[in-house]
Amino acid sequence: MLLINNLSFFRNDIKIFENLNLSLANNQIIQIKGTNGSGKTTFLEVLLNILEPKSGEIFWKGKNIKKNIFDFYNQTTFIMDQNTSTRKLTVLDNINFWRGLSSSKLSNDEVFILLKTLKIEKYYDTKVMYLSSGETKKLELLRLILEQKKLWILDEPYNHLDDVSIEILNQTFIDHINNNGMIIFVSHFNPTISNLEILDFN
Amino acid sequence: MIILKKIFLFLKRESKLFYSNIVDLFSNILFFFLSVFVFIFALGADEQLLKSIGVGIIWSLLLLSSTLSLRKFYEDDFKNGVLMIIHMGGMSYELIVILKIFSHFLFVQIPFLVSLPIVGIFFNLPINEVYNLVLTFFIGSLILSCLISISASMNLLNKTNFSIGSIIVLLFSIPLIIFSVGINSADIHFNSLINLLIGIALIFLGIAPWSSAACIRLALKNK
Repeated sequence: MLLINNLSFFRNDIKIFENLNLSLANNQIIQIKGTNGSGKTTFLEVLLNILEPKSGEIFWKGKNIKKNIFDFYNQTTFIMDQNTSTRKLTVLDNINFWRGLSSSKLSNDEVFILLKTLKIEKYYDTKVMYLSSGETKKLELLRLILEQKKLWILDEPYNHLDDVSIEILNQTFIDHINNNGMIIFVSHFNPTISNLEILDFN
Repeated sequence: MIILKKIFLFLKRESKLFYSNIVDLFSNILFFFLSVFVFIFALGADEQLLKSIGVGIIWSLLLLSSTLSLRKFYEDDFKNGVLMIIHMGGMSYELIVILKIFSHFLFVQIPFLVSLPIVGIFFNLPINEVYNLVLTFFIGSLILSCLISISASMNLLNKTNFSIGSIIVLLFSIPLIIFSVGINSADIHFNSLINLLIGIALIFLGIAPWSSAACIRLALKNK
């Protein structure tokens, strides 16, 4: 359970957001919406302890995340708006690195089935720099399944994706929340997911 | 146990990146050799002259060549967010910096170390001076890797001024060059100078992880 209590953030004395309260329980999915520059990505960075809030606290399972930051990270997957795959390594090298980093128990066969679902299986031995931006984004979203974490935090996951991939991503979200997961994501897109809650930043 | 696996994983990734960027290393070593040749041709074929100033020239050129790869030290991993992902995988930034310094020492400085005896031949250096050069560079390259790490992390957000990073490295390597070059002319003080060099290396190994990690955190905040 994630609890955000009276969170405020100021950048150079300019208010980005103030007195924000939010709670996220199992099986819950929240979409954050807002105009450009309304502080959506900044909110995610404060949530992940990259930026320091001016006031307020964030609790994960009843404990302040500042004191148990690695406990929190250990159960969180963060998909940024940039691609964290290393361009000079092959797709498989990147996948193996992510799997090792999160101590994932997924087998090679399962990874291959995932690659096949996303239709990038023929590139498994190709360097990431030769993939298109949509394919790179799909590879990035593969981390959601690979890392097997409880809380998913995503920044603009729908960018660069085609209709089929958007459908797969929506289905992945639904499967995850039915499986006691929690999701927060920032997007301008309107996905068709039942029980989607919307937090408006305007 | 898990953290050891992750450290091994990190080094494996670094070695793969090293193989894919091996042309960069070759061009750095080529730069080093060519600048040595330029010096030799500029000074003429006076054996005694080359012998007396050889070590000093080799050290200055080593410093210049090692600052060539400075900007690449953290930049790629910082830009695409890999540093953040590794941190979220359970490694502190300090540990990441230590591993980066170690892999830089292993994959960039050791090839330079191997090329030193060959360069020694061009300057007609006596064998004991070549030994000293290799020994001092072995310790000195650790100091250099630490300095490069500090300087590269300080310049993560600097997109315009390319020379300031090299200036930091060159400025702080002045004591290193004084003691490393001085070791040949001071036969009696050999041990004390080596101890001084090891001392400097230990100081930098102590300082570099904390200062680089602080700079990386600051850069992530102001990205």
